Amino acid sequence: MTRKSSSLVVGGITAAALVLTGCAGGPPAPDGSALSDGKVTIGILNDQSGVYRDLSGPNTRVAVDMAIADYREKYGDEAVATEIEVITSDHQNKPDVANTQAQQMYDRRGADIILDVPTSSAALAVAEVAAAKERLFINVTAATMELTGASCNPYTFHWAYNTEMLAKGAAGVVEDGGESWAIVYPDYAFGQGMNASFTAAVEAAGGEVLESIATPFPNDNFSTFITRAAAQDPDVIGIMAAGGDLINFVKQYNQAGMQESTTLAVGLMFITDIHSLGVDQFSGTTFTDAWYWNYDEQNREFADRFTQLTDTRPTFAHAGNYSAALQYLEAIQRAGTDDADAVIAELEGAELNDLFLRNGVVRSDHSVIHDSYVARVKAADDVEEPWDYEAIIATIPAEDAFSDVNPNCSM
Amino acid sequence: MSATSRIAPPRGGLDAFPAPSRATTIRRIVWLAIALVAVLALPWFVYPPVAMDIAAWALFAMSVDLLLGYGGLLSFGHAAFWGSSAYFTGWIASHLGLPFPLAILLGAVAAMVLAVPIGLLSVRRSGIYFAMVTLAFAQMIYFVANQASVVTGGENGLQGVPKTFFGIEAIETESFYFYYAAIPIIIFGAFACWRIVHSPFGRVLSGIRDNPARVRALGYDVERYKLIAFVLSAGIAGLAGGVFAISHGFVSLQEVDWTTSGKVVLMTVLGGMGTLWGGAIGAAIIVLLEDYLSSAGFDGIGIITGAIFIVCVLLFRKGVWGTVAGLVERIRGRLPARRRPDPDDGIDAPDSVTATDTPHDESQSEAPR
Repeated sequence: MTRKSSSLVVGGITAAALVLTGCAGGPPAPDGSALSDGKVTIGILNDQSGVYRDLSGPNTRVAVDMAIADYREKYGDEAVATEIEVITSDHQNKPDVANTQAQQMYDRRGADIILDVPTSSAALAVAEVAAAKERLFINVTAATMELTGASCNPYTFHWAYNTEMLAKGAAGVVEDGGESWAIVYPDYAFGQGMNASFTAAVEAAGGEVLESIATPFPNDNFSTFITRAAAQDPDVIGIMAAGGDLINFVKQYNQAGMQESTTLAVGLMFITDIHSLGVDQFSGTTFTDAWYWNYDEQNREFADRFTQLTDTRPTFAHAGNYSAALQYLEAIQRAGTDDADAVIAELEGAELNDLFLRNGVVRSDHSVIHDSYVARVKAADDVEEPWDYEAIIATIPAEDAFSDVNPNCSM
Repeated sequence: MSATSRIAPPRGGLDAFPAPSRATTIRRIVWLAIALVAVLALPWFVYPPVAMDIAAWALFAMSVDLLLGYGGLLSFGHAAFWGSSAYFTGWIASHLGLPFPLAILLGAVAAMVLAVPIGLLSVRRSGIYFAMVTLAFAQMIYFVANQASVVTGGENGLQGVPKTFFGIEAIETESFYFYYAAIPIIIFGAFACWRIVHSPFGRVLSGIRDNPARVRALGYDVERYKLIAFVLSAGIAGLAGGVFAISHGFVSLQEVDWTTSGKVVLMTVLGGMGTLWGGAIGAAIIVLLEDYLSSAGFDGIGIITGAIFIVCVLLFRKGVWGTVAGLVERIRGRLPARRRPDPDDGIDAPDSVTATDTPHDESQSEAPR
């Protein structure tokens, strides 16, 4: 009997604790708060703690705040969006977390739009939520073609780049004399897509892919793959890995003394990758860039403002988020409301220009195309100031930089 | 120090499981009512998709506790079953258009089928070796899921899984109503766990945990018992994984990642091993904490959960459930202070096993695992 009542008390306490922890989550959720209450809420959902922290992360918020300031300055008292709030969330690069956080942002925190979202699987998960909740989602930092392909929906826009656009720079390398290629790619969806895109781009430009080598993912030791690629004696070795694998590959590539004999082409690179490994490790590498901070006066001015607030230079992801936020607010201004469908009507087919979007067009598959660039990493001696790592060797016009409207997309 | 009484062969010992006394029955009902109210009230206090996550992870943690707390088998690869069921469920729901409870059941069956060969090979080992073997199999499943992108979507995941439910729109679109449609599956899984633990089979399992040699000497096929426990546990993990997949509307590689296996072990240990219900508490704490930290603008989510785990392992060996139960008993001074939480504590009535719970049993319980 004594034991019974004691465990009853234990149980009562634990149940109470359970209910209390529940309360910490907030009051019952009103499902789908209908109209925006005279306030525009911009949600930023990205990696605030992991591998993509530097290239987007907390600094994306700085870029979005800059866009809001510019919008306010431009329209002053005539601004339709009188009150603008920015909320952020960390999706830890996990799609299930991204999915739940996105639902919460739309439902409970009143987000009218979600921005950024690196990691393809997380981006696709958020696109689903955006379609279900009928709110906007502008993806900036994920690469997958699926967003504007089979998984496209009316509420999702893909702003900055995708895997096919990254491959377009390969044509410039071929014209530059790099005709024979060996491609090393990590064997998962992103790597396979990149390999296919690059092979097509190289062959279209008259070059030849001697061998495509799949590597495990993730992987630490690339020496056998580098040896195999070198055995083909190619002009160019293309590496499609990203993040930590890219850093590993490049280190081992340089240790093998490959820098002397072949050109390295990197599939996806952010300026923060160059900064973290050191410019000398990447010297001579070519890649496709969506935006570069030191390209012209307009970019530089933006970069200087950004640096004052963050002590680092912006990546193209930061500039892309600035542009997405700014164009979203401009669309609200034109529509006179923040109603999602009205804003989408303003965005669809629009020709947009700002410091990130040069000759930008919002296509029918909601891919936002714009001029992109073939960049080469400077030699260490040519670097004139911190972060001055890239030389832009060619500009690819918007319509050439992105392939045709995706036939798999039906909205 | 004899453990014979606990693991008496069922044939002679059927009366080892006498019908519970009346007081016990009442207490059980009160307990179940409290638990049920907590479960049903959850989406009123917590954002419904998060509430669903808590429920799914809670069942997942219970399935791990079934092996870890009662069988003494630390599976570090349970994501293989949670994840493969999630993929199966997702695929079936997307392609065959079945109502989601059916898809989830089929997913759980698939997880059990998968668990048979994995279990056959891994239950021959115990301790750290068992953990490593299960981890290795789970990693194999991960790479298969990664490569089979035609079926699984690879890195992009399986997107757009519908919540088909006999055309009832409220359930198919509103996460609040979906919770109530899916929670019976979780409750069914939790009941199955409870039933397994309190069956003669569960007794033998506990016996194997404490002294496998003796159980073997008594004529039980130890490996077979372990295998059955492994497969049952996989099936329950599969139920949870299926619910999770349907709730989120997609399945990603994250579901078969080793970090998922680690997370569920963390929940189980945090809540209290060998208590079943502790896993639910652990799941609630971890899911709510991660949810809160995600939007709190704090950089190091891993640092917080890691620190909690370290504190828990160093100071609260019995987990939240075990510690609270122990504290209350200790304050009341009605039981010896340093008693390990008995698997029978909690909702279940300890009196139901009085016939076998001899004083020997108490000393047995204090032996380190």
